[in-house]
Amino acid sequence: MSAADHLNSDAVIADLRHRLAEAEDTLRAIREGEVDALVVQGADAEEVFTIGGDSESYRTFMEAMEPGAAALDAEGRVLYLNSTLRRLLGRSLEDVQGKPFQQVFDADTRGTVEHLLAQPGTASQSGDLRFRRDTGGDLHFSVSATPLKLGTITGHAVTFADVTERVRAEAAEQSERAARAVIASANEAVLVCDRDGVITHANVAAQIVYSGNPVGLRFAEAVPLVFSDASSEMDSEGMVSATLAGRALQGKEALAPNAPMVKDYLISAAPLQVAGDQISGCVITMVDLSQRKAAEKQQLLLMMELDHRVKNTLALVLSISTRTLSHEDTLEGFQKAFTGRIQALAATHTMLADKSWTDLSIENVVRSEVAPYLGGSVERVTTSGLDVAVTPRAAIALGLIIHELTTNAVKYGSLSSEEGTIHVSGAARAGEGPAPLTIEWRETGGPEVVVPTRRGFGRTVIARSLQYSPEGGAEVEFDPAGLVCRIAVPSEDLR
Amino acid sequence: MTIEAKAPRKLVLYIAGQTPKSVAAINNLQRICAEHLPGQYDIEVIDLRKNPQLAREHSIVAIPTLVRELPVPLRKIIGDLSDEQKVLINLKIEGE
Repeated sequence: MSAADHLNSDAVIADLRHRLAEAEDTLRAIREGEVDALVVQGADAEEVFTIGGDSESYRTFMEAMEPGAAALDAEGRVLYLNSTLRRLLGRSLEDVQGKPFQQVFDADTRGTVEHLLAQPGTASQSGDLRFRRDTGGDLHFSVSATPLKLGTITGHAVTFADVTERVRAEAAEQSERAARAVIASANEAVLVCDRDGVITHANVAAQIVYSGNPVGLRFAEAVPLVFSDASSEMDSEGMVSATLAGRALQGKEALAPNAPMVKDYLISAAPLQVAGDQISGCVITMVDLSQRKAAEKQQLLLMMELDHRVKNTLALVLSISTRTLSHEDTLEGFQKAFTGRIQALAATHTMLADKSWTDLSIENVVRSEVAPYLGGSVERVTTSGLDVAVTPRAAIALGLIIHELTTNAVKYGSLSSEEGTIHVSGAARAGEGPAPLTIEWRETGGPEVVVPTRRGFGRTVIARSLQYSPEGGAEVEFDPAGLVCRIAVPSEDLR
Repeated sequence: MTIEAKAPRKLVLYIAGQTPKSVAAINNLQRICAEHLPGQYDIEVIDLRKNPQLAREHSIVAIPTLVRELPVPLRKIIGDLSDEQKVLINLKIEGE
């Protein structure tokens, strides 16, 4: 063998070795799944066969899917995105093919995708993604990643189902629920009307303005209103029209004559703007004013009463002073008589004040006037038929009369002796219709009564105190067995 | 030497359409060349699905396969080129 032959055979051996190594490498690559297509020598020409199925078929299938879909290899790189997902992400296939799928997303959404793909096991993983739309608003997707065998590799199929409408509907429903809860829990009556002024919602509190369910009725017919502002000629109809035209109404007082429970309301009405500037109806709230109105009336009445009473009392004090002065001879006598009379006035005033200037019972007036003079022996004065309520003005007059009678009894009458007693009785009114009540003051067991020689102020007080009314008055009878006084309380002051 | 830098260097990557391994091989090759061998090779990608007869030139059996055509000796790397070290060893040019 020549040297050249040697060289030649070495080269052949090297070539054969190289081809053997290549053949072995090819077999190893096929066995270990590093390739997914083979070239086969066909009858006429080479043909390419894909191992584990044709990749075109799953692409066709992905294109037919409605949701966005991505096929990823085992390392999470993009094999394919269907056109829905390409449109959603604004990327071309060339842009993203072979790139890690996470890189397709922005920083906000990347985390969710990474998390889904990082889950081990063969189960499908789901999550929610939100994309901000260029035109404003959000797009919501339910994303699920499922491990998938694609040819010789195990990758992931990731789908993006658009749930924006569902999320929006849920949000709308939740907001509707919240709105209903707000309306329902309001203490005020809240009524919502549509563009035609027809009531669409009414809360429970609205029962005070309309008994039954007002929904479906026109507001103007269900709840007629008379506004107290005399200058406006507005009514329910006008109020609803004005509000629907965009003019809100703030805190107007109105009367609801047809309301079953309360009549006076503070009304507010505002246009309802659910979406954009469009007015889709109006919201009317009605606050119950009855308590406030009643309190205002009571306050006004009390102020007038107080004014009247102060004037009356001052006049009375002046009169008592003048009269006492003209009938008492000494300063001491004046002081004693004047003080007693003012105290009698004060006693009735105290009772009236305790009762907030409402009606008093005759029994209480009598008892409070006689009590200071009886010490412990209250039984010396007995009463019957006095459980009758009278107005404050009659109570004051009665208080003065009883005071005069009592001081007279202590000085000259039955209370001046040890045994004497007094019986005060109210005579039942006879017949129908209003009639004055006659109270009889009858003393017994005292010294013999003689007609006084001069007429003191006490008798003037007794005679005149109730004469503010034609029915009222009092007369004294000097019965030798004991003084008798008959007092007529005007029927208008009896309660 | 500038002469050596200008010597023809060519890689041919054989793929079969968009099979997962083909897609991965294209991306891996682009990445490795960009990171480790910038500007050193001209890359030609041949889709055997479109032109199966082109497999004959380099006796391609399995896809994907990368062929370093130049400089000689010719070398083949079978698979999706995810083993970066293996690729670099085969593509490294002697004397550099």
